[in-house]
Amino acid sequence: MSYHLSIIGTLDNPLFELSFGSSKQGGDGVAKFRPEALYMNQFLVHAALDLVEEVQWVSKDLYLKRIDSHQNNHIHCFLTGGNVKFMLLMNPDPQATTYSAYPTTPASRPGTQAGGRQSGGATGTTGAGGMLAANPTSQGTEEAVRAFMNEVYETWLKCIMNPFYTANQVVTSPVFRSRVLAAGRKYL
Amino acid sequence: MPPTLDDPLQSPQESDSEQPVAVRKTRHGKSPLDSVASLPYRRSNASLSTLFASTTSLPLQSGTPSESGTVTPTAGAINGSVFSPGASSALRSSSPAPSAQSVANSETRDIIQRAFSPHVSILASQDTEELVRHKGIHGGLLEILRPFGERVQGKVTIRDSSGVSRSWEDYGIRFTGVRDGLESPRLSDRKSTDSGGSSARNGQRTSMVDYKPARLRSGGDVPLVEELVERHLTFAEEQSGPVDADYLTHIDGQPTDARVPSPFYTLYLRRLLSGLPMVPSETFSHPVASVIAISSRSANPIEELRNLFHSSNQGEHRLPQWVHNEFLRYYVLVHDEDFDDITKSMSLFDQMKRHFGLHCHLLRLRSTQCLPSDDGAVKLPQCEWTAAAEELAEIVRRETSEDDDNTTPCIFETDANAIRAFVREMVTQSIVPSMERASATWNDQVASRRRGLSGRFMSLSKRFTPFGGRNASVPLGGAGSNYDSLQGFYRPDAPEAVMRKLADYGMMLRDYKLAQGTYEILCQDFKNDKAWRYYAGANETAAVSSLLAVSAVSPRVRVEGIDQYLETAYYSYITRVGAPYSALRTLMLGIELLRIRGGASLDDAARWSTRVLDDRLVGPVGHVLFMERIASCFTERKGVGGVGGSSGDRTRKAAFWYMLAADAWLRLEKTSQAEKCLHEAARLYRLDDGEMGLRFDGMRDFLRALRHAVKVNRNGPQHLDGVDLLADDDDDDERTLVEPLQEESEQLGPRSPVFGHRKSLSIAAAAHPAPLQTQFADPLGAVPNAYEGTDDVVPAMLSPHGVDAASSTPVVERKDPRDDGFE
Repeated sequence: MSYHLSIIGTLDNPLFELSFGSSKQGGDGVAKFRPEALYMNQFLVHAALDLVEEVQWVSKDLYLKRIDSHQNNHIHCFLTGGNVKFMLLMNPDPQATTYSAYPTTPASRPGTQAGGRQSGGATGTTGAGGMLAANPTSQGTEEAVRAFMNEVYETWLKCIMNPFYTANQVVTSPVFRSRVLAAGRKYL
Repeated sequence: MPPTLDDPLQSPQESDSEQPVAVRKTRHGKSPLDSVASLPYRRSNASLSTLFASTTSLPLQSGTPSESGTVTPTAGAINGSVFSPGASSALRSSSPAPSAQSVANSETRDIIQRAFSPHVSILASQDTEELVRHKGIHGGLLEILRPFGERVQGKVTIRDSSGVSRSWEDYGIRFTGVRDGLESPRLSDRKSTDSGGSSARNGQRTSMVDYKPARLRSGGDVPLVEELVERHLTFAEEQSGPVDADYLTHIDGQPTDARVPSPFYTLYLRRLLSGLPMVPSETFSHPVASVIAISSRSANPIEELRNLFHSSNQGEHRLPQWVHNEFLRYYVLVHDEDFDDITKSMSLFDQMKRHFGLHCHLLRLRSTQCLPSDDGAVKLPQCEWTAAAEELAEIVRRETSEDDDNTTPCIFETDANAIRAFVREMVTQSIVPSMERASATWNDQVASRRRGLSGRFMSLSKRFTPFGGRNASVPLGGAGSNYDSLQGFYRPDAPEAVMRKLADYGMMLRDYKLAQGTYEILCQDFKNDKAWRYYAGANETAAVSSLLAVSAVSPRVRVEGIDQYLETAYYSYITRVGAPYSALRTLMLGIELLRIRGGASLDDAARWSTRVLDDRLVGPVGHVLFMERIASCFTERKGVGGVGGSSGDRTRKAAFWYMLAADAWLRLEKTSQAEKCLHEAARLYRLDDGEMGLRFDGMRDFLRALRHAVKVNRNGPQHLDGVDLLADDDDDDERTLVEPLQEESEQLGPRSPVFGHRKSLSIAAAAHPAPLQTQFADPLGAVPNAYEGTDDVVPAMLSPHGVDAASSTPVVERKDPRDDGFE
């Protein structure tokens, strides 16, 4: 299971981006996205912002749960008071995502895909992060992501309380980064 | 409950045909021109362009006056490549005041409405066929009548079941051969349904009677539709404007046109709905009437007519047993104006009227061949509703034929008028009234019993009483069921079959409320009988008729049921029946009609479209056409505006899908289409707007790379110049070129693939200048300029996807067609 966390400011600008993998059940914590995912993840997260704007008026929580899916990418969102959005994109099987290419193998086989990629950790995708990967839309997943988001939120609060941090500024603090990674290891 | 889609998706007919289409498209490792050059050299002759007229910008190019039968000029003129700048801009400027959206909506709605037209089969005697062939029309009476049937001249007034009369401008019927729609268009898996032994004799007879075999006129085959649309696309690419000036003028017409469906999509939709195959579960393609024709040359006319009637009833032209055989027979006497005596024909005609009743017509045709240079000669109009196989066969024939001139036959103006009058008279005086009568009868006798309170219990009583049912029940289908589950059909006189026919007549007569009500009753019945194909069909048409029944304006009436119908139909078609064509048709009709409703239904339409894409119901061409369509759905989706400003707006999603579509078009090497999508994406993402533009680096760079790829390929792979065909592309060099770049780019780290390429390319450029020149295949010689490094974006001209090629050879194979275009 691979994750991509984006923190998006008020002008649709990314303040922080991080990709990581699941550490549960033998996963090594490294994201296994395809190279196209470098920009495709950004596209997906950006496109999901439309739905954030719609759901935010309906939900009374700050955690908006899963708002969007595309192929097998699922996007969860947490909204902060300053209209800063934490978007978590999760993909249980990144190799099976074909984006705009016409998928030449049936969509339901996660192990072998168009291109037959044999890169290192690919075989472990269904194993690692098993619980969450097996059922990305379940209640358990939502709870795990909610806990993760809350922890990121607390770290975020400390970050923006920094007097030298101006609104909509990119976050570059390595401490922040390591705290987020730790939260990911703990909950996801 | 998502069904597993591996095997049921591939019905026996589709599975072996999916592969050839898929393999052909990927064009492993060759430059794009190799693939083009391997096809027979296509002369862009005038005759070829008339075939592609429906997707180029000048639909009236073929020169026929009113009955050209092609796309309405407004929508057609806006999209499509510029065929000749002056004329098309004139057409564009004369586009009417109504917004592009309403034009688009009415266009797709019209297509869907007219897709459900009554089918009339034509059975002509030998001498009639000879007479028509003598005129130079090899297809016989069917070929000469077909184009005129598609649009009946003038208004047709129809009374629906509630007594309200409505008149329609665009009513039409379909003339078909007797056995059209029964066989699959592919030669490999043609099954002779019945009369296997007589097929040889039958085949011989049909080859004498029909120019093209009946199987070509059947539709229902998605890969063939894909192939056809691909041909159109390639033709459009070849014809697309070669110079930048054209691009600039072209771009002006673009912004308003995002909502008008691209002509290729319209073509796809229309071909999916043409040539509806004849199946037991739906009666749209069962003939509503049959035209039995003799000519004035025949020796014993009345005898001949009797024989023809007999053969259509019980003889060799008999339809399968699940077709209700009691349809109207219309007798036509074709009088040869040039050689025969009119008084004799008139007396014969009177005799016919006395014998056969009022459903007769005397059609006066001239039997001499008409040359284009003759006075009063008009070309035979092109049919709008041909099946994909037929159109493909015609394209191939014209491409490979040696002579350049247009082989469309000509007929005299008087003939054309006579045929139009005949069609009008037949439709308004005979066909529509008889259909109205039939549906009134069936409505009274069968359907009205089922409506109301007692009707609902009738199906229950059928199930539970062992000797139930009104007719003698077939024991195989379970107690009280009329369904023959072994053979998979209802007997034509069973009440369920009659109600299905009633509902289908309602659709054909555009009485959608009646149709919808009847289909709802039928859904329940079929479910009880476990007649799954019928069940799926009834759900499909219930959804379509309820969407058609509400006029476009009235907001949200009965939307709740639609999703359920579509879902059930889709699930049944895929899992229980294994009919991907029907599933695709269901969803496509649902999507188009949901779009028209606007508002929240646009989200539903987009959702169903993603379902089509995910479940791979379409091939590569359909894939990208649907992506474009999703993007335009989201463009139309305007927010409610309410509390937070634009909540409900989907501009970002629209931009995303346009970007995906542009990427997919580039993979298919259709650069001009990619250009349009990319333009939309850039506009929606505000790519060029420095202040408010995109802040995501990866996105920005990718879009710029796409833009560059489009620019570089604009005159590229499929644009045919003479020079192109002479360039020889060395794919070995190209392969070696890709390899070193992969290694270098890997060292540069994963942060930004585009930047990685930039550096690696400058290293590699020095090493391989010569092979790079030939990779490009750019006839205008822009390659040396590109490598001078004039602009900073240029070195990133390798595919942004080049990094993928690092992983394994199969991926390289797959990406090569893309890389070709870039280098």
